[in-house]
Amino acid sequence: MNSSKLLDTQALAESKMQSLNKSFHITGIGNGLVSGLTYGIYSTLVVVASGYNPLASAAGILAAPFVCSGLNDFFAGIWLLFYNAKQGRLKELMRTLRTRPGMMLVIGFLLGGPIANGAYLVGLSLAGAYAIPISATCSLWGALFSWIFLKQRPTKRVVFGMLMCVVGAVIINLVKPEGAPNFTLGVICALLAAIFWGAEGVFSSFGGAMIDTDVAVNLRELISGLVSLFIVLPFIGGGMHLLSGTFAAMTPIYWLIASGLSAGISFVCWYKANSTVGTAVGMSLNITYAFWGVLFSVIFLSQALTPTIVVGSVVIVLGAILVTMNPLDFLRKGE
Amino acid sequence: MSNLLLPARTAVLNDLYQKDTATVEEIMADLKCHYGSERQFTKKLFSDHCMALEANGMVELTGYELDDGGELQMKYTITEDGKNTVHKYIAKKYQDE
Repeated sequence: MNSSKLLDTQALAESKMQSLNKSFHITGIGNGLVSGLTYGIYSTLVVVASGYNPLASAAGILAAPFVCSGLNDFFAGIWLLFYNAKQGRLKELMRTLRTRPGMMLVIGFLLGGPIANGAYLVGLSLAGAYAIPISATCSLWGALFSWIFLKQRPTKRVVFGMLMCVVGAVIINLVKPEGAPNFTLGVICALLAAIFWGAEGVFSSFGGAMIDTDVAVNLRELISGLVSLFIVLPFIGGGMHLLSGTFAAMTPIYWLIASGLSAGISFVCWYKANSTVGTAVGMSLNITYAFWGVLFSVIFLSQALTPTIVVGSVVIVLGAILVTMNPLDFLRKGE
Repeated sequence: MSNLLLPARTAVLNDLYQKDTATVEEIMADLKCHYGSERQFTKKLFSDHCMALEANGMVELTGYELDDGGELQMKYTITEDGKNTVHKYIAKKYQDE
């Protein structure tokens, strides 16, 4: 091969590599944004589903949210089974469960699935859209747990972001909205959700990087749905009765099948974003769900838009972005 | 290899642990006897595995060139983090095969 042809081939290889890197980066950013949007849609659809009887008139504060979160996660798991079957990856589910990183992920799923999702939906039902930005403080807890258990010291920027999350949460709580049945308890539940989501992330540090995220997300949703419906729900008074009543009514089931699709897309895109543009950027883009969730609640669910929820949401989202990344790096990468 | 197969992405990392450096095509050639009959055995999915392992610091891209057909061939090398992860989380029987 003569030298000019060799140079041409090298230049072509370089330009192909550059365009591959560019499309990888753009796809990653796109996935992150879609994950935030679909998580906002999921949050809204679950609230719509819980507005139908028998969920709307269910007794107690736990039964309806756990029926919703269990069915939503279970349906998300079924949607993802179709997705993985199409890709020829069904065997990967059992293979992953048999590995040590897979087992560690499952422990995380139990914290992030039945416990955190359940708490999030209890929070949504008690405090309305105010629960959404509060739950976005999960990156604060993720950074805190990494500091305590994985000895990863946060930088000044991360600590500042953490403080902003706290300030945002305080702002949201300054004025109690009218009509929320038990606002403070709802906010505490949303905070519990954020804590357990933060803890879930820690369990992916044990070799989770070598697990296919599409498979991991499928396992997460199926395990979360099945545990919520068949292990947690029987211990909640009237829970199983409410579950059978919900199936008999069917309308809320249709909404939960749709919310499960949104949640499934959201998680797949979120993990894909994390493994293409890095967890920091992926998480920052995903956190935009707090905006979408509040916006959809205002448009479709007649949620009152107060100055405290607007300012508090913005402060929390900015704080969460600071915890996960240096915005200046993002601008530099964009160039 | 044991009858119980590793998940595909884990198998890709394990293959790079054994060979240190390989292209996606070489990794697929090594794993073909176990995963070749499955629908997931495509260059796109295995390239995704390599790129995701790279994004997580398990492997690094150490070279690329065009093959005879004008297709981009990417060469990956396992990192120290990747080696430690294999030591810690992949059973010895898989590491030695």
